[in-house]
Amino acid sequence: MNNELTLQELRDRVKAAGITIPDNRLSMVRKLLSDALVHVRALDSRAIKTVEPAVRFEAGHE
Amino acid sequence: MSDAIAYATIRELGARYRARQLSPVEVTRALLERIEKLDGALHAFITLTPERALADARAAEEALRQGDGRPLLGIPVAHKDIYCTRGIRTTGGSALYADWTPDTDATCVRRWQDAGTVLLGKLITHEFAFGLQFPGHRFQPARNPWNPAHIPGGSSSGSGAALAAGLVHGATGSDTGGSIRGPASFCGIVGLKPTYGRCSRAGVLSLSWTLDHTGPMARTVEDCAYLLQPLAGHDPADPASSPALVDDYVAALGRDVRGVRVGVVRNYFFEGVDPEVERAFEAAMATLRQLGADVRDVRIPSLAASPSFMLIMLAEAYAYHERDLRDHPELYGEVLRERLLAGALVTGAEYMQAQRIRSEICRETAAVLREVDVLATPTSPRPATPFAQAQDPDFGFPRSNTPPFNITGSPTLALPCGFSSSGLPLSMQLAGRAFEERTVLGLGHAYEQATDWHKRRPPV
Repeated sequence: MNNELTLQELRDRVKAAGITIPDNRLSMVRKLLSDALVHVRALDSRAIKTVEPAVRFEAGHE
Repeated sequence: MSDAIAYATIRELGARYRARQLSPVEVTRALLERIEKLDGALHAFITLTPERALADARAAEEALRQGDGRPLLGIPVAHKDIYCTRGIRTTGGSALYADWTPDTDATCVRRWQDAGTVLLGKLITHEFAFGLQFPGHRFQPARNPWNPAHIPGGSSSGSGAALAAGLVHGATGSDTGGSIRGPASFCGIVGLKPTYGRCSRAGVLSLSWTLDHTGPMARTVEDCAYLLQPLAGHDPADPASSPALVDDYVAALGRDVRGVRVGVVRNYFFEGVDPEVERAFEAAMATLRQLGADVRDVRIPSLAASPSFMLIMLAEAYAYHERDLRDHPELYGEVLRERLLAGALVTGAEYMQAQRIRSEICRETAAVLREVDVLATPTSPRPATPFAQAQDPDFGFPRSNTPPFNITGSPTLALPCGFSSSGLPLSMQLAGRAFEERTVLGLGHAYEQATDWHKRRPPV
């Protein structure tokens, strides 16, 4: 997977989400998301120990 | 009003109240006059509550006459304007809530009220604790008392500016990616992000549920400890609130710090750090060594992936704001609106992978904190940013040293450790094990007592 979020991919995501982002803000949003995504995209999800968000239930509690 | 009173510590004010050398009403009136004189240029306050303040001060005066020994009795404070205050408007720094008056207090507001504090008013926050206040926004941004051409940091911007300018003796802040520690760093004050779950978030507008922390801001570590005491403790109204026992934070100060193991995290936090920040930080570590601390280098490799925390924050913030963004987009600041909308573009799988990365960072950090007692890093890689740079709509979020400890939820104290050649404050942060606020406060207090950075005053 390419680690960089392309402008076309960003436009596709905007369309799929059903929102509007003005053209003059696309580069700002692209940088914001790209910086955050780079490590997630580099992650081999098969190679790391399974980690899941915990949901705990205790007897006697709601 | 003399600077000596405006900048008095909580302990000093309490002693003078009890010696009948000062009264809460006198101090409150003097602070209201000081705010009137200085805040026209600083914009730290968004709402002043003089009648409430004087009523609180009179009640404190009466309680003092009865011999009430509460340490926060008659201490003037103010709240970041994302903390709900009953009968007092709570804007979130946003045009959306510009005229909203809650009918209940946030738990933290009530706890300080029950401790006998005097409420001076509400302090400006970056819009919804996230965006900057750009020109044309409904509310003016707070200015940095050390240099009004620079930002005071955010999002607890008014809290940082008001404390540095001697307008309040304590303030609340909130910290999702550094919003207590950033303003503490840029304004030369002390800010504590307690352990996640230590202080209640009930009644505080949310930015990101799994990253939001509430906590105190002050001018000294001891003041921070006094202010933390009533805030700490379980609150059934906050689903993330912890039942962990509460320490006596003030009693933990002044203890010998010889042998305390301090780990300087050498990866991540020093990339792109300003040389003046690095020099000040290394000098601070030398001071800790002189005090007898065992200062050593450590590494937490997974921190390299910590920028992925932004995916969590964006997705959670969008979930919180989705309906208002769709119904009233015009009431959001332009740049903030697009940043919040970016949360709609994070996929479910990406959010979950970011949470898995978070778990790995937590695991590695906890392992290092079994080898050392405290982690130390510069709070901010650089001194306060100029407004001219920060208010460029394309100005992104610069690399930050604060989010890693929102990811881990660790108690983290930011405190002054020097000044730049241009006269701007510099800061270090000390992070500890979960619910060991006493350890970071104790070490920070020992450092503070050995230095005088906290005694310098801005040219207001």
